[in-house]
Amino acid sequence: MQVNDRNRNRRNIGLLALIALVLQLGIAPAITIGQGHPNFAFVFAAVVALSIGGQTGVLVSFVAGLLVDLSSTGPIGLSALLFSIACYILGMEVRDRIAEEPSMTLIPFAVAALCVSLFYAIAMLLFGESESLLEAIVFRALPSTLLTILGYVPFLLVMGRAGGSGLRGGVTGKHRSRYTLGNR
Amino acid sequence: MPLTGKGTTSRQGIRRGEKHTGGRALIVVVSLSLLLLTLGTREGPAAVLSGARSVFQTVTMPVRYVGSLVTAPFTAASNIMANLTTDQETLSELRAENQRLVARNAELEEAALSTERLEGLLELQSAYKLTSTGARIISGSSDSWSATVVIDKGTSSGVAVGMPVTDSAGVIGQIIQCGPSTSLVRLIIDENSGVSAMVQQSRAQGVLKGTATGSLRLTLIRTDQTVEVGNTVVTSGLGGVFPKGLPLGKVVSVEKSAGALYYEIVVEPLSNAESLEEVLVITAISEEQRATAEDIAEADEQETSGLTKDDALKPLEITEDEDESTDSDW
Repeated sequence: MQVNDRNRNRRNIGLLALIALVLQLGIAPAITIGQGHPNFAFVFAAVVALSIGGQTGVLVSFVAGLLVDLSSTGPIGLSALLFSIACYILGMEVRDRIAEEPSMTLIPFAVAALCVSLFYAIAMLLFGESESLLEAIVFRALPSTLLTILGYVPFLLVMGRAGGSGLRGGVTGKHRSRYTLGNR
Repeated sequence: MPLTGKGTTSRQGIRRGEKHTGGRALIVVVSLSLLLLTLGTREGPAAVLSGARSVFQTVTMPVRYVGSLVTAPFTAASNIMANLTTDQETLSELRAENQRLVARNAELEEAALSTERLEGLLELQSAYKLTSTGARIISGSSDSWSATVVIDKGTSSGVAVGMPVTDSAGVIGQIIQCGPSTSLVRLIIDENSGVSAMVQQSRAQGVLKGTATGSLRLTLIRTDQTVEVGNTVVTSGLGGVFPKGLPLGKVVSVEKSAGALYYEIVVEPLSNAESLEEVLVITAISEEQRATAEDIAEADEQETSGLTKDDALKPLEITEDEDESTDSDW
């Protein structure tokens, strides 16, 4: 039943969003390397993009990015923009792989997280919010990426334990074919 | 009919796939993001987006509280592990005492120097008769690009944007956003922070700026002035935001490049706002805590004396963010 799937998706996304919000606002400030903090909001957005992808992935990543922007002092819309693009690409390229082998998503996720951090660093320089690109990359972007990747690992393990179902609520039969080309 | 059936199913699958690629949604959210970015760069600090940030900050305060409660034992455990070789109680007492003495020492030195300059002053008065309200840091910065903390006092407690914030060791930052019950404080180590400062011993005046490394840089100190490692950096009071003479940090390195007009000075902040602690929000500054006409004249003289005649006609070297920033002390 598609209706049931959608409801389950919404519930799962809502639950995951709540966890990510608590982690991002409550726990992330206490976890630091250099000046970098883990970006749990991006982890959340990426998990949704990798599990469901498509329109839902893009919209969820936009909202997640917007919340990051609102909780920071940086330009509002920048994280939303980067998250949306990164998660759109993640969703396009990788989303079906998570059903087969969640660990395969680690490298694409790491690349996406690194790209988001690097582009953010460049944008901050262009907006005049940062003075040195090198320092921004060394002390902020790279530690942040590392911590974000580490933050993704528990989600990966949970998805792996759930049989690679991600947020879709199941991998068998109709559920799985819903987001793939043709019938499997 | 198997063929038709198969073809139909396949087409449906493709349509479904196309529908869910999110291309249209991406175009919409990218446009929206760019619109927000444009609005954010064009609007003033008190506009809609800043209001949205304040609302978000207030709404998410319980989440931050929960987070601080959860992380507090781990932070404490981490501190204990780091100092395992030393008796924890003794170490804590010594640290607290050391912080208090450093702050007290800077305060007394400032008062003493002030008394010397103002020969008519007979009684030693405390340099800091601060009108302030106590607050508690409830959360640190959740992103990697800013050094901020959230405190549990807002407009309902008389706190407003621009007010300086100190802890027991000295200045930690300045309020940049205010909600009804919380406020966001930009720390002095933030890259966009700029505080009018001076070297306590030599009275050399400059601007103390944050860096991406988490240290502080004292800028605009001319190379013909005297600055030594170990000197204390205090607020100069020139911006009219911070009371004069509050301790900011200690000079840890002074470098002079060949042909450079200004020193490259690295300052270590005295305060550590990473730990959750009580802070003071300075709600008002008295006349005696502001920079005097003499201080302003000294600063002007310091700036112009090192420049050539042609240079003197140009405006001071103030970076764009310093120039435009409404929350900066400079």
